[in-house]
Amino acid sequence: MALNVKPTRSELIALKKRIKLSERGYKLLKMKRDGLILEFFKVLAEAKDLKNQLAEKYERAQRMIAIAETVDGSIGVKSAAFSASENPVIDLKSKNIMGVVVPKIESQSVKKSLTNRGYGVLGTSAAIDEAADAFEELVECIILSAELETTMKRLLDEIESTKRRVNALEFKVIPELIEARNFIKMRLDEMEREELFRMKRTKGKSAAKAAKLSAAHAAE
Amino acid sequence: MTEVMSGIAPYIYVSTRMRVRKAKLIPREEYLRMLNMGLPEFTRLIEELEYKREIDELSASFKGVDLIENAMSWNLAKEYQRVIALAPGEMKGFTRDYLHKWDIQNILSILRGKELGFSDGKIRAVLVPAGALDAPTLDRLIAESSSERIVEQLPIKQMSAILSEGLSEALETHSFGKIENELYKYYYATLIKAARGGMKGGLPFLKYVMFEIDIKNITSVFRMRAQGGDNAAQQNIWIPGGSFKPEELERLSSVESTDEVVDSLKKKIKVTVLLDALESLREKKPIYSIESTLIATQLNQMDKVSKRNPFSISPLLVYLERKKYEVSNLRAIARGKEAGLDAEILEKYLVM
Repeated sequence: MALNVKPTRSELIALKKRIKLSERGYKLLKMKRDGLILEFFKVLAEAKDLKNQLAEKYERAQRMIAIAETVDGSIGVKSAAFSASENPVIDLKSKNIMGVVVPKIESQSVKKSLTNRGYGVLGTSAAIDEAADAFEELVECIILSAELETTMKRLLDEIESTKRRVNALEFKVIPELIEARNFIKMRLDEMEREELFRMKRTKGKSAAKAAKLSAAHAAE
Repeated sequence: MTEVMSGIAPYIYVSTRMRVRKAKLIPREEYLRMLNMGLPEFTRLIEELEYKREIDELSASFKGVDLIENAMSWNLAKEYQRVIALAPGEMKGFTRDYLHKWDIQNILSILRGKELGFSDGKIRAVLVPAGALDAPTLDRLIAESSSERIVEQLPIKQMSAILSEGLSEALETHSFGKIENELYKYYYATLIKAARGGMKGGLPFLKYVMFEIDIKNITSVFRMRAQGGDNAAQQNIWIPGGSFKPEELERLSSVESTDEVVDSLKKKIKVTVLLDALESLREKKPIYSIESTLIATQLNQMDKVSKRNPFSISPLLVYLERKKYEVSNLRAIARGKEAGLDAEILEKYLVM
């Protein structure tokens, strides 16, 4: 690789500083990556658990709506569904996990009491209560799942970009800087040796000249 | 032809006709056979029964199980209208009163549908004109521009008064639940008044109405318990006129132990079938299973009242209820089969 650096002492000092900084950055980023991976696995375990719950709750909700339609018919279920006029309120906040901004979703009015669902207790059957209950639980689980899935996605993105930075520092930036430093060192050493040789040679020449002059004086 | 409007003659005539119609309803063995059929086979069978005409009429608007369900609802509505036409004199008025629950359901569906901005067609699809309000009247109400106008134009004045009283609150809170409960309370109050009105079979029927109120209140107790109390909101769900006071029901709905609830309920209940049904509720089971047990008990009691009073209003009401549950059972089989529910599970939801 052709190095385009000036082999000067000040450049060497600057390079050494950059290497030190890069190595410190590399260590920090590595720690961040490891921390993020640990955090990711924690969220992953939660998300896996939640995904199973979601599948179970979805299955239960489907079974309960089938039972409600069996008991009350689609007309009864639709008529009760007409009562649901209050939509759940989703409050979107954010939290910070090792510098990664992830969403925190809070929901209101998802789980309602029997008398707050809008339909009358006397004109409907318990199968509708159970179906409404199952779907409310499912919506709550979906909201929680959305929070965790987004967190996981953001963490993964951050892990990926941190990994790229760590790899770039480890395999590209730091080796190149070290190579440049070694090159400058080598060039400086070479220049020093050249200087020394030149000085020795000059000194030799001067000494030879002096010896010649003193020999001439002695002959006279 | 002179129509006999008083004395025992109209009761004999109507009771006999109702008994003949009841005999034509699908028997238990047939339901058990249907449970083992596939959906296509079941659909073919339904088309061979008396629902064929409605299926043909509605086949352009609906498909699949929706078609079966709507055809059966239309058949039920027409049959109820025929029974109203058949019943002479005071029996007609009583039958109309008894079928008011369909009017309540229809008018609330219209109001809710209008409030949520559903199209007229979509609202019409959920109506079952089986009560005093026939299809043209319901169509007229759907065509009205606002909820206030619908309530104003409602031909049943008492219902209209209850609706006007609670309408503004319902529109403000977007919840018709309170009005719905009030309407059902009015419905039972009307039934009690009619049963006390001197009609033949009225007093035994009054006992039955009180029994039905008890069943409704007990079901509500179990439903409220399943949802974990919610005392403040449950103020208006208890129907007066039964064996229990609202305060007692309120207390029972927040009691944790099922045994304690069953024991307290049994202290006031005198009907043996209900005592047995209550005993079976001690074991933990889903709330809809409790409800099915109570409905089956209610129908058995109604049958008993009808047999003890053969020439009264009871045979007519027994037929109306049995017909309703025939439609409900067939719909349950169709919907259950569509959803892939097992025959054993489906059997639990049939009222046979």
